[in-house]
Amino acid sequence: MSQTSNIVDILEAGIKAESLRQKAIANNIANLQTPGYRRIDVKFEELLDKAMDSRGAVDLDEIKPVIHQPKQTPVKSNGNDVNLEYEVGEMVKNTLRHKAYVRLLNGKYRKMEAAINVK
Amino acid sequence: MEVNNGFGPIDIAISGMRAQSKKIGVISSNVANAQATDNGKGGPYRRLEALFKADDDIGGVTLDEIAADMSELPRILRPGHPHADEQGYITMPNVDLPIEMINLTVAARAYQANVAVLKRYQRMVETTLELLR
Repeated sequence: MSQTSNIVDILEAGIKAESLRQKAIANNIANLQTPGYRRIDVKFEELLDKAMDSRGAVDLDEIKPVIHQPKQTPVKSNGNDVNLEYEVGEMVKNTLRHKAYVRLLNGKYRKMEAAINVK
Repeated sequence: MEVNNGFGPIDIAISGMRAQSKKIGVISSNVANAQATDNGKGGPYRRLEALFKADDDIGGVTLDEIAADMSELPRILRPGHPHADEQGYITMPNVDLPIEMINLTVAARAYQANVAVLKRYQRMVETTLELLR
């Protein structure tokens, strides 16, 4: 068990999850025409939601992003269920989330730097 | 606690793009089959129409059904045609190419409009994220 309420740790986990999701989306788009391919997605936000307690502390082992196949989108005639528009939308959302996390992390580091530079 | 919310407009714009893209698929089927006098079931091709349905509350749009256009099928005199009846008439699909072209333009424009909404919302969120700098 590695409990943490350190914001840097949680943000890092988030950035890792977004990077993995970006890979999953790229994989989905690459397999747009592959017969029988089912799209993959990354589960992270649900895990974070579940793992967060009232004090805001999180068990880092419980929020490791996992790849899964949602199997929810309609399947095309070749057994493939990737939809280009949907993947683009997911990518836009993922990029925005990633941007938010990186900026928050950047702000955190800047505060640390300010503390270090106090003379 | 809801962790991830606030990307609703993106999902809605994407639902519009998906619906319009499917509609363009239906239109291309109509255009491709504009002269198809045999649909494999003993009749000519019937024009298809994509029917959209609004999701509950503000949840975007889905393609509800692809229904056949039951308007009258035009009959033209073409004696000697393998599909001609005793009087020499063949029944043609009820596809009107000019109408399909207009529908294609409308669908493509609607797709673009959804993309414009998506892009604008993306820029809005980015300006919000600028506050974190």
